[in-house]
Amino acid sequence: MLKTIIAREFLNNILNLRFMIGLVLCIIVTIACIMILAHDYQQELADYNRRVNLQDEFLSNYATRGRMFRMIPQQKPPERFRPLIIGISGNENSKSFDDNPLPILFPSLDFLFIVTIIMSLLAILFSYDAVTGERQRGTLRLVISNSISRTTILFGKFIGGTASLLIPFILALLVGVLYISINPVIQWDSSAWAEFGLLTAASITFITLFYLLGLMVSAFSKYSAISILNCLFLWVLLILVIPNVCPYISAQLRRVPSIRETQRQEEEIEQADNEVKRQRRKAVVSKFRGDYGGLFSKLESLGFGGILDDEIGDKEKVEELAAADPDFKAMVDAFRREIDRAWLESQGVRKDAIKKLWGDLNTKAAAQTRLAKNLACISPFANFVYVARDLTGTGLRSLEYFDRAKAEHYQRFWRHVYKKERDAKKNDPTFRENSSFLDLGDYPRFVFKEEALKDKLGEILPYWGILVLFNVVFFVAAFAGFMRYDVR
Amino acid sequence: MLKSIIRKEILNNLLSYKFSIIIILSTILILVSIFVMYRDYCLALENYEILRRTKSDDPVVVIPPTPLGIFAKGLDENLCRSYEGGSGGRINASSKQKSLNNLFKLFTAPDLLYIIKVILSLCATLFAFDIVCGEKEIGTLRQSLSNSLKRPILIIGEWVGGFISFILPFFIAVLLGTIFVTLSPMVDMNAQNWEKLGLFLLISVLYLAVFFSLGLLISCLTHQSSSSLVVSLFVWTILVFLIPNLGNILARQLVRIPTVQQLELKREQIQIRRELEVYERLRTRTWPERREAHKRFNLENEMLGEDYRNRFNRLVKVSQNITRISPAAAFTFQATDIMGTGMLEERRLKRAVLKYMQFAGDWDDEKGNRPAFRYQRSSFREVLGQGGLSNCLILILFNVLFLAGAYVAFLRYDVR
Repeated sequence: MLKTIIAREFLNNILNLRFMIGLVLCIIVTIACIMILAHDYQQELADYNRRVNLQDEFLSNYATRGRMFRMIPQQKPPERFRPLIIGISGNENSKSFDDNPLPILFPSLDFLFIVTIIMSLLAILFSYDAVTGERQRGTLRLVISNSISRTTILFGKFIGGTASLLIPFILALLVGVLYISINPVIQWDSSAWAEFGLLTAASITFITLFYLLGLMVSAFSKYSAISILNCLFLWVLLILVIPNVCPYISAQLRRVPSIRETQRQEEEIEQADNEVKRQRRKAVVSKFRGDYGGLFSKLESLGFGGILDDEIGDKEKVEELAAADPDFKAMVDAFRREIDRAWLESQGVRKDAIKKLWGDLNTKAAAQTRLAKNLACISPFANFVYVARDLTGTGLRSLEYFDRAKAEHYQRFWRHVYKKERDAKKNDPTFRENSSFLDLGDYPRFVFKEEALKDKLGEILPYWGILVLFNVVFFVAAFAGFMRYDVR
Repeated sequence: MLKSIIRKEILNNLLSYKFSIIIILSTILILVSIFVMYRDYCLALENYEILRRTKSDDPVVVIPPTPLGIFAKGLDENLCRSYEGGSGGRINASSKQKSLNNLFKLFTAPDLLYIIKVILSLCATLFAFDIVCGEKEIGTLRQSLSNSLKRPILIIGEWVGGFISFILPFFIAVLLGTIFVTLSPMVDMNAQNWEKLGLFLLISVLYLAVFFSLGLLISCLTHQSSSSLVVSLFVWTILVFLIPNLGNILARQLVRIPTVQQLELKREQIQIRRELEVYERLRTRTWPERREAHKRFNLENEMLGEDYRNRFNRLVKVSQNITRISPAAAFTFQATDIMGTGMLEERRLKRAVLKYMQFAGDWDDEKGNRPAFRYQRSSFREVLGQGGLSNCLILILFNVLFLAGAYVAFLRYDVR
């Protein structure tokens, strides 16, 4: 009997106007979206290559230590899922005077939009009258008057309805997959296809959730007109309101210090530290004046041999004198040690203070983000967005992962630079650290590798679990409602 | 007769479940939105005070957030960054305070503009989708027309009565929210702002009327309210989400624009070449020679920025032209321009910043202290003067089109 109910529900739906509209809309939007985004991906790839070439060109022409840090080669390539989902950009763009603010006014259209807006709305339209419609037409009474349990009817409606709802989605997705697989620019490996499979499964979980929401509301309503209004009310709250309000609420509940204020405090710490350093140097100089008298005056007259300041001071003359006079050499060495010790002590305090300052800001910002993320979990929309974005490397996690990869490469890069400098110094005594050209033709290139799927799963499974939980809750509620439903 | 129909429609609506649920939803949302965005405005003001106090030898430009951002946030966060002149004519923008919480990038600001654009437009469509076909289903349409009632009177009465019952609660909710905002000591609304808010509400009514008329048109083209509902929802999805969002990425395919990262890399290269040329190669040369080199690099830098901005302006234009076929996009552009948080203001501010930075760069310190940057957001007249009402005309056109369509369809409607 279950099979018959599934078949009837399925046929009823696919012969309906909403199925035709849903099918046409899904296929057209998905194909248009994938084609445009694939072209966009191609352009972004070209832009990425251009940036990498610019950096290579720079490093082969102008690589000196003083300038290198401004051109360190860590460019992020476009995400491999870019033809489907537009990733969120890092913060580096927001500091530029010239930027493109259009996406703030109009968020871009991608696969996430198709699932979260079009498919969820379609799911509600498929199920809002699953019970009420039949009651109004009188068919529910007829069906129940036979020996069919209500559980079987509800299961049949769920399976048949979901199957008919997923046809437009799966068909559209298949066409999209075909386009991706024949496009020579898009190179997906097995892990990308596995992620795509999981993305499809997560999307189905999300779509069935809204089908069940409609079924639940229908099982608690008497008329289809009321059922659809209630469904749309819930849809608006869950999709359009809760996720958007949560970051703002969390910003009120967990305040984060101002970035500019933190920068100002950092400048204050630096100024105070410079003053401390000056005082300490002064103290060391007075001590040496008292201890060494005339010998120290000789060093003083040579601008301290550059020990106090790298640029000023006659280094060569001091070295010459030190080579001739062992007492002078011992004093210079002791003076250098004392100055270095004073500098290092102060530097340590300064570094700790600045680290604490920014650490505090980052901790508070992370707490605010965490709160917003958790608050938004009451909406299935947010949970699905987290799952889909983290799975495809287009979300917050991918930004953090990129930062980690960047930091690792940064260290590798500088180790290479230091090694090159040491070699250069050995071969060329006139080599100067900050201004001499360094041949960096063989520097370690930054190759961004997507995070492994198993690492991502740990992050996405809880959110996916919440989506499944929503499914279960809505189904149980629909079941409870239908069991008590007055079919007359 | 028209009065009776209007009264009947208003009463019908007031007593319906649809009215209760839509009114509850829109009132709660509008009040929550205004409160949330008001708190956000207070944070933006605090941030502005901190940015304003920044002391620097380089010229710094920062403008305060507008209280109208509570209603239409638009690009206000971008506009209220501080811009600092750097070496070689470069301008650096400060980080946005919200960049600390990346979740803001995933979701949209829930301001009044968003509520009207997305949620109230849906409500307007839901209000109107069964005006004609619903009456046909319950049989009252046949009865009404069996009397000496003319069809034009009936359709006009239905539209006016339905729209009044929909729009009045919206005004009450907005009024409550506005009272809350104006009573707050943090918000200082001047006459200009009131004018702009008034115009914004007027445009909002026009926009909502478009969706109401659309619902009516679909209702006149269908014979069952369930079909009307399905068609209405899909057309709403296409107009509110699909066209504006797809049009934006489509415009990017038509106008090639480099990414900001590429632009910044090129700028960095120019700066490095400048340092090598002026501070190392020409170090021993005379000042006029070095000044010439500086000018050359400044020009190169300016040309790079100019090229980017020209392309970007073209992109905005193409994007506007494509997305204007959606009333939601026309409304967004129009509303943000009126409130001083849109593309118009962004372009105007950037032009003013560039001009000021150039002026500050040429300033002779012997003349005394450099005058501070002064900036007034576009006045009411300026907004109207710069062809700013073209989007408004598009909304009127949509209204006329949908209403005329509904009128014609209703004249040919089979009421049996």
